[in-house]
Amino acid sequence: MKVGIVGVGCSKFGARDCTLQELAFEAVSEALKDADLAQEDIDISVVGCVGTRSYELMPAVVVNEYCGFSGKGPLRVEAACATGSAAVYSAFSSIKAGIAEIAIAIGVEKMTEVDTATSAAIGGRAGNYLWEHHFYGTTFPAYYAMHATAHMAKFGTTEKQMALVAVKAHRNAAKNPKAHFQKEISVEEVLGSRVITYPLKLYDCSPISDGASAAILASEKAVKEHGMDAVWIESIGFSSDTSNMTMRESFVGLRASRLAAEMAYKGAKIIDPLNSLDFATVHDCFTIAEIMAYEDLGFCKKGKGGEFIEKGESDFGGKMPVNTFGGLKAKGHPLAATGIAMVYEIVKQLREEAGRLQVDLKHYRALSHNVGGTGHFAWVFIFGR
Amino acid sequence: MIIESRELRLRHRIPVNRIGKYWKGLEEGKVYKTVCRCGRSYYPPRAECVCGNQTDWVEITGKGIVECFTVVHSIPSCFEWSKPYRIVIARFGDVRVMGWCEDEVVVGDEVSIFTAMDGSGVWKVWFRRG
Repeated sequence: MKVGIVGVGCSKFGARDCTLQELAFEAVSEALKDADLAQEDIDISVVGCVGTRSYELMPAVVVNEYCGFSGKGPLRVEAACATGSAAVYSAFSSIKAGIAEIAIAIGVEKMTEVDTATSAAIGGRAGNYLWEHHFYGTTFPAYYAMHATAHMAKFGTTEKQMALVAVKAHRNAAKNPKAHFQKEISVEEVLGSRVITYPLKLYDCSPISDGASAAILASEKAVKEHGMDAVWIESIGFSSDTSNMTMRESFVGLRASRLAAEMAYKGAKIIDPLNSLDFATVHDCFTIAEIMAYEDLGFCKKGKGGEFIEKGESDFGGKMPVNTFGGLKAKGHPLAATGIAMVYEIVKQLREEAGRLQVDLKHYRALSHNVGGTGHFAWVFIFGR
Repeated sequence: MIIESRELRLRHRIPVNRIGKYWKGLEEGKVYKTVCRCGRSYYPPRAECVCGNQTDWVEITGKGIVECFTVVHSIPSCFEWSKPYRIVIARFGDVRVMGWCEDEVVVGDEVSIFTAMDGSGVWKVWFRRG
């Protein structure tokens, strides 16, 4: 029995002057309208929220009540920055198990209610507090910066190649009215921006954003009964890795991403992603993360991610257009909203509703790649229409 | 319009009895890993192996090789007492160790390990080049 996405919604990302639940409802109401469904048609709601930076510490019921889903769940999920994908998986599983016919996955995050230094202290706890942040003041950018120095040393990846990822992201986000940053930037601006944690500079980093997204999933039976238009989930891959960075296999890639991709490709019978998929959304919380993702997802060989961006292979018209809506880097990265915002982008693209950002479709298949922490969690979904 | 939430103070009391030897070791200038007779080594150390056996404490000595590093300029609130700091991960045989390092290093450099108190009074691992 197939499960499809029948409705999607996404709020504007950025510093938003509304409450968590109001933000969630922006995405939920858009998704309901998109699917032409009402709250009573939903069997269970899944609320994804990392919630460590906002005033509601147990937000699921608050969000559920405001969105009109009281009595339907909620199931709260958390998988750091991959929370959205874990929420979609939970909704998918409830349908696969036969418990629900129609389920909604909501991802919502308010990140701007605390100051930046506090946010850094919370993000630094995304690994292992006791052994890393407590002693050494690791921050989230610091973890990826360490990946960057390892990648630069082993493969000769340059700060300019990383800057090109940011330039592409901003160029796409400039045409996305929901993006946090809707302005183009130059390589020189990226390279000249202040150092956050060497070698990552301000424009190598995704912003601190508020945002919400929602996806409505339905069984094949419900899709037929309601006469809905579905983008099907063809396969799902997942993996995880150690909380301690010191215990990882290597620092030049994310093993969890590689294993999740292998599982997803196997499930969808994909041998050559470049000739099977039209585009991809990948987890570019930092520019080096996108370069490693090209490699870990098999778009190019390990160590060749810098060349992949330099040759424009991840741009429109390239071998694999990546992050056509601006990515986490420029669209924004409200943690739990990110994974479902990827689903939003994929559904809009596969329905050919992406306007000025529309990619050319040949296979009508796409991939989402959502990482939690620094490869602590990884989810890869293959969608088709 | 913005309103402020009530303040919530969080400071956790963490019981480290089972791995207390590590903290005592830091104060004595020693950095310990744990090893199991099944062949597994642990850093950070843990008192029991995933196989179920109790582990033994072994001091980490000799030279390490830098595998990655960063210099944190955007400092989290709980480290605001510090100037920008360099975090290094170095390999010592079968384990990797994280520490602070005041010397400039690049990937592949050799480092020595030592312990010292930081500016907030916490004993921890440091490296020096060579």
